[in-house]
Amino acid sequence: MFHWLEKHPFFFAVGVFVTIAFAGLVEILPNFAEASRPVIGTAPYSTLELAGRHVYIENSCNACHSQLIRPFKSETDRYGHYSLSGEYAYDRPFLWGSKRTGPDLMRVGNYRTTDWHENHMKDPAGVVPGSVMPAYRWMFTKNADINTAYAEQLTVAQFFSVPYNKPVPMKDGSTKVVKMGGSIAEANALALEEAKAIAANMKDQDVKDAVARGEIPQIVALIAYLNSLK
Amino acid sequence: MSIAEIQAYGYFFLTLFMVLVLYGYIYHLYTKKKDADGIDYEKYGNIALDDDIGDAPVLPVSKDKEK
Amino acid sequence: MENRPLEYDYTVAKMFMLTTVLLGIVGMLIGVILAFQLAFPELNLVLGEGLAEYTNFSRLRPLHTDAVIFGFTLSGIFATWYYVGQRVLKVSMAESGLLMFLGKLHFWLYLAVVVAVVVSLFTGVTTSKEYAEFEWPIDIAVVVVWVVFGLSIFGLIGIRREKSLYISVWYYIATFLGIAMLYLFNNMEIPTMLAASPAGETGIGAWYHSVSMYAGTNDALVQWWYGHNAVAFGFTVPIVAMIYYFLPKESGQAIYSYKLSLLSFWGLMFVYLWAGGHHLIYSTVPDWMQTMGSIFSVILILPSWGSAINMLLTMKGEWQQVASSPLIKFMVLGSTFYMFSTLEGPIQAIKSVNAIAHFTDWIVGHVHDGVLGWVGFMIMAALYHMAPRVFKREIYSKSLMATQFWIQTLGVVLYFSSMWISGITQGMMWRAHDEFGNLAYSFIDTVTVLHPYYTIRGVGGLLYLVGFLMFAYNIYKTMSARPVEESELQSASPMGA
Repeated sequence: MFHWLEKHPFFFAVGVFVTIAFAGLVEILPNFAEASRPVIGTAPYSTLELAGRHVYIENSCNACHSQLIRPFKSETDRYGHYSLSGEYAYDRPFLWGSKRTGPDLMRVGNYRTTDWHENHMKDPAGVVPGSVMPAYRWMFTKNADINTAYAEQLTVAQFFSVPYNKPVPMKDGSTKVVKMGGSIAEANALALEEAKAIAANMKDQDVKDAVARGEIPQIVALIAYLNSLK
Repeated sequence: MSIAEIQAYGYFFLTLFMVLVLYGYIYHLYTKKKDADGIDYEKYGNIALDDDIGDAPVLPVSKDKEK
Repeated sequence: MENRPLEYDYTVAKMFMLTTVLLGIVGMLIGVILAFQLAFPELNLVLGEGLAEYTNFSRLRPLHTDAVIFGFTLSGIFATWYYVGQRVLKVSMAESGLLMFLGKLHFWLYLAVVVAVVVSLFTGVTTSKEYAEFEWPIDIAVVVVWVVFGLSIFGLIGIRREKSLYISVWYYIATFLGIAMLYLFNNMEIPTMLAASPAGETGIGAWYHSVSMYAGTNDALVQWWYGHNAVAFGFTVPIVAMIYYFLPKESGQAIYSYKLSLLSFWGLMFVYLWAGGHHLIYSTVPDWMQTMGSIFSVILILPSWGSAINMLLTMKGEWQQVASSPLIKFMVLGSTFYMFSTLEGPIQAIKSVNAIAHFTDWIVGHVHDGVLGWVGFMIMAALYHMAPRVFKREIYSKSLMATQFWIQTLGVVLYFSSMWISGITQGMMWRAHDEFGNLAYSFIDTVTVLHPYYTIRGVGGLLYLVGFLMFAYNIYKTMSARPVEESELQSASPMGA
């Protein structure tokens, strides 16, 4: 630093590294475990929801929609209760987004229905005149990847002790068990069962037929995910 | 003393230390014209200007390697 | 042949110059398409319903950011390193077969990764983390490329003739270390193919899929520690490295104050990393981190302006050069935009301003006045300066360069001014209440009102792209322009009419 380092590249590099790593050590490491304890009422994602989350990520929905409600009256009026750290305990990766070209989706499950999403994803401007959101019609024909979602469930259960097949406390004092299949076939059966409930509320005949055949179009998984956001 | 208190003290003294180092460094740069090798700091700015492969370095890596 | 005098070897620099130009065109073209898609949503179907999935805004958006950051900018950084590195260390790559091999390996591996990234993002294989979208196989490849880059840097330094490292080299070293540390920590992930079901099945689902090591708030914290500092070590530090070399060299003026550059360097290194928290103000990360992010963002003005002022003072008494040389114009306007966006950033990091600015187009505007005005201008200026020296020919056309300068400047001004208005309009409308305390506007009101600004932004971006195509053409024609003498290459670059 007193112009000695500038002549000794190795020590210079060490000096730079220490200087830049310092902030991370002080800022990020402490309290690291603290932030991720789930709040009551937060349950892990089911297989179908997780597959829907993958659809959400695959299409970078987070490029235009945030999932973070800031503690302002204008935001809580519009989107619901402000976000709590523990609500994100099972979000890997986090999907807060950095831009609201469209509205926040943190609690979209509270005020939008399966039916609404179906129409909206087909033709956004038809549902919300003036909308700049593109249509996502291919989600009605392309099938969701249930196996990958299942693999992710197994991974998080194994490495991060995410409580699948275990009771999770709910806000009303009851408990909820999110099931995870014991095999690929079982996982697919669980997802299909959930998909049938969603498809029953949908109008698109092709989607209904697909689910009846045992397939799960992406749109069904995505709607399952969006409905779970509360 | 709780962990938060220790953190707070640590943080305070760290800030104090940083401020001292920063001002010490500024003072050092302000008063010293030459570095430890006896070369005017500002001469190093010429490295960018006289950068042909044949130009003489401001400070050669090793004196004996040069003719 | 034996007695041929030693020369700098620019083979690798030339290769990276090529990708800088090509990926610049790709990244900016996608950017312009995106801008117009927001103004005119029908453009999402520009190639028809069948390809809608691949021409959709949401698929293209990560491609735009990554093409510009990791394509255009990173290529520019590599190209200038393989040029500046040799010169300020006074050692030629031709002197070491190993370094030459590493340089070429660096280029070809980099190109392979670029191809893999393009394919993966088009098909929607992404981790969703901004500027870290790549899944684990690509992450590993990126690390390999980066290690080769590091070996190149330290290899060249190892055989140097100039004992003291020039300012630019400090910044290149910092770029290497900073990105290495950030990238590794942010991309900690577990491939899901490792999982086994209770029934004993393994290798379930997509082999390239992975899950982040961090969850929720922690993930956000690490991501923005990365995201913010990827800007630091991608858009600030290496670009500062360039200007510390190219401005003094082109103008023939030694840097105004070497001591000030020392101070700004260590200041920047220390302060920058703390400021990442300003991306998470009013989120669920601990309050003290948000405040720390705010405070350090403001402190950051100091070292940033230290470098920028040093640049402007280097031109002291030589301002006629700004009028006469379009190349100097690019660099001086670049450092002015640097000062401008390093002032704008801290303003946006103040909590009460952030409450309005966050999630709006103002942030997009801020990024672009930095990237178009500072990064883009500086990289183009660097390539313009390098072209006559690596090709040993004068720059094809000075007047084309001057025209380009004004077209692009207009483009940048249109871009950031429209985004300011749009961002602040949006931020204010979101929070507006009527006399009864109800929200004054529904969300869609705040979208439709932005249409004119989105259109203006698109036009601004288009102008910048047009300017960039002029730049590409100018560089291309330079390769067949009039050959120059050694004596013409001392400082100011030779230019044709």
